[in-house]
Amino acid sequence: MKQASKTFLFLTEILNLKVIDSEGRSVGRLADLKATLGELFPKINSICVRKKKDRKLFSLDWSAADTIDDNVIRLKKEEETNLFPLEMKEKEILLKEEILDKQVMDTMGAKVERVNDIHLLLSEGELRVVHVDYGVRGIFRRLGWIKWVDLLTNWFFAYQIPDKLISWKYIQPLASDPAQKALKLNVTLKKMHEIHPSDLADILEELGKQQRTAVFKSLDIETAADALEEIDPKFQVSLIESAAEPRASDILEEMAPDEAVDLLLSLPEEKKEKLVLGMEKEKREKLRELLKFREGTAGSIMTTEFLSLMEDKTVKEAIEKFKESSLPLETISYIYVTNNLDQLVGVLTLRNLILSPLETPLVELMNKDVITVKIQDDVDKVAEVFKKYKFMTLPVVDEDDHIKGIITLRDAVDATFPEFQE
Amino acid sequence: MIIFLAVIGPGIITSNVDNDAGGIATYSMAGASYGYSFLWSLIPITVLLIIIQEMSARMGVVSGKGLSDLIRERFGVRITFYLLLALVLTNFGNTIAEFAGIASALEIFNVSRFISVPIAAFLVWLLVVKGNYKSVEKVFLIACFFYVTYIISGILAKPDWNLAQKGILSPTLDFTPASLGMLIGLVGTTIAPWMQFYLQSAVVEKNIKLRDYKHSRTDVIIGSFIVNIVALFIIVACAATLFKAGIKIHTASDAALALAPLAGKYCSALFAFGLLNASLFAASILPLSTAYVVCEGMGWEEGVNKKFSEAPQFYGLYSLLIFAGAGLILLPKLPLFLIMFVSQILNGVLLPFILIFILIIINDKKIMGEYTNKRGFNIIIWVTTIIMIGLSIFLLISMFK
Repeated sequence: MKQASKTFLFLTEILNLKVIDSEGRSVGRLADLKATLGELFPKINSICVRKKKDRKLFSLDWSAADTIDDNVIRLKKEEETNLFPLEMKEKEILLKEEILDKQVMDTMGAKVERVNDIHLLLSEGELRVVHVDYGVRGIFRRLGWIKWVDLLTNWFFAYQIPDKLISWKYIQPLASDPAQKALKLNVTLKKMHEIHPSDLADILEELGKQQRTAVFKSLDIETAADALEEIDPKFQVSLIESAAEPRASDILEEMAPDEAVDLLLSLPEEKKEKLVLGMEKEKREKLRELLKFREGTAGSIMTTEFLSLMEDKTVKEAIEKFKESSLPLETISYIYVTNNLDQLVGVLTLRNLILSPLETPLVELMNKDVITVKIQDDVDKVAEVFKKYKFMTLPVVDEDDHIKGIITLRDAVDATFPEFQE
Repeated sequence: MIIFLAVIGPGIITSNVDNDAGGIATYSMAGASYGYSFLWSLIPITVLLIIIQEMSARMGVVSGKGLSDLIRERFGVRITFYLLLALVLTNFGNTIAEFAGIASALEIFNVSRFISVPIAAFLVWLLVVKGNYKSVEKVFLIACFFYVTYIISGILAKPDWNLAQKGILSPTLDFTPASLGMLIGLVGTTIAPWMQFYLQSAVVEKNIKLRDYKHSRTDVIIGSFIVNIVALFIIVACAATLFKAGIKIHTASDAALALAPLAGKYCSALFAFGLLNASLFAASILPLSTAYVVCEGMGWEEGVNKKFSEAPQFYGLYSLLIFAGAGLILLPKLPLFLIMFVSQILNGVLLPFILIFILIIINDKKIMGEYTNKRGFNIIIWVTTIIMIGLSIFLLISMFK
């Protein structure tokens, strides 16, 4: 394509322009542009033309385009400029059909934006997608009012509404591949996983059903589990049900046990059984235990993931165990100490460990007056205990003083004040 | 059964909000000025309401997106902008009507509109922006039992059931501006465009699964029947009392007389209570729904859980609708009941255009998959659209004769 230097243009500026061949005959109108995903700034590979007679779309290789000016797209003089019926190959995306006016994920700002226009760069014969326009200036431009608006704002406020553009490298379009119903991934999939789970959950909540399912499907197990924990319960069920059973079981395994149990309890019995059976033995046993506890008791809000060691172990071994653990800090702020009968006999804080000589046996260091709650204790009683002692976690014991789990402050608050969960 | 209880709400709430100030005014005037002769229209209107609301619910369940969202994605920002503009203007008219209802109701107790309206506007605004809307919604809903009084009153007034039957079974329409306006108004108040957007959003909010959809359908059908039974009895009660006595409705106290058979001299107070409840309820929902719909379509941040600075267009539009709407009512000598009625005519005029958009979307396989419209539905809606546009044109022509 002939042109002197780099030019930026907006998709809507060239949509619907007449496409004419080298002799001036009309071929049709520009209906869409097809790009290939995979590079930082995707290259347009075809022009989609709508012929006047029938309403079908034909595609024309981009290399056939000669010039673009204000109202017309001129094709090169070749033996034949070939029009093919439109075919979508893997990793290809249509700009107008799948991106313009649709919602996309901004992985940098961790939000969902509506695309008002697409910013393209024409350079050395290649047309590439560079930005997405989500600002109000884009809206005014498409309405055809931009000249007047600029005049007004300049005159009144000496101000011009700026373009709000996001670089394409941060954008994950929400168009899905109709065959697999999975997202057409942009090269920046890694970016999606870098979004904080709470923000990801917010994004998922904002999307329409199909897009939500498609995005969830493209997340790796860990990110999916984190997001699922944060997302509004009413979406949790439909999301876990949308996942294939092996994947769903994997995700449940990754989730904190108490969250997994809550989710399982809201599923129909049959489904719940299938998913639990699909989990690996250890996790399955743990969950089955938790599932037994009646709602509203300490047992139903506790998690079985905590740190405990026997009393004859040393500070050094405790610190080693702490280092190896991948549990969140709130659950391992206290280390629980058991005797050889597996009963809870004492508790230690991280500070105790750090300030003591490495060879000290835990039994000498630990606080023997451990405050506990029983499995069947009411959630309200648990809250009372938290209020009184202000611990970060409370151990839960059974009839024989075996430690069965711990309750975090957060879970206790969530259980007594459900409205905070919003 | 449990699923049914979890899924209902949208249809039933929408229908109760449907009987807002504009609704009460329109049905009352239909009965008072024309007696039983518009009763026939309730049958096609009920059928239409069920079909149209079913389509809105279906679009919501299948796509998981609101109507504004679907329109934006299918038609682009330009068309969406102009459609939303028309919707905002129409909804603004409806909002003015709600405040007219509040002013009108409290004037029965001799409360000046200069006191009642600003306070009401402020309270509604505060409730939505700062307060807990959900719990108040329950209060409004319970107060909707007020409509039972129309049913009782209608029966106690010993209406001429023969005439009523004739009214239901034999359609009549003289093509005068007044009658055309009344017919368009009756359609517009029962099938208000803003309700289609609201219902679809409510269904999406509840995240109803495809397999539970048939419960939504039942919800919609029940809601539609409730609306129209109430409408029927409002018209009958007014016909049996006001029309018979030759009283034309100019103010709320005129309309209140329709409840006299039941409440005697307390009819005004009773009516005022009902009108106030209906108006406040709708005033809390309608402007808010409009703000949501516009932000959804234009891609602006929305939601009462966001701060003002995070969602300026949302809060700005919402506040503007409430305070400008309330403000206009303060202009002296405004015929409040007439305003309530005319706002519903606006609804009726906009409706066919919304229907066209809905029809295109609901027949698009890419959006609806296998849940596109059956042929029968399409024919009914196209016919309705043409009739409604025709009626509007007739109205316009006859106004200029």
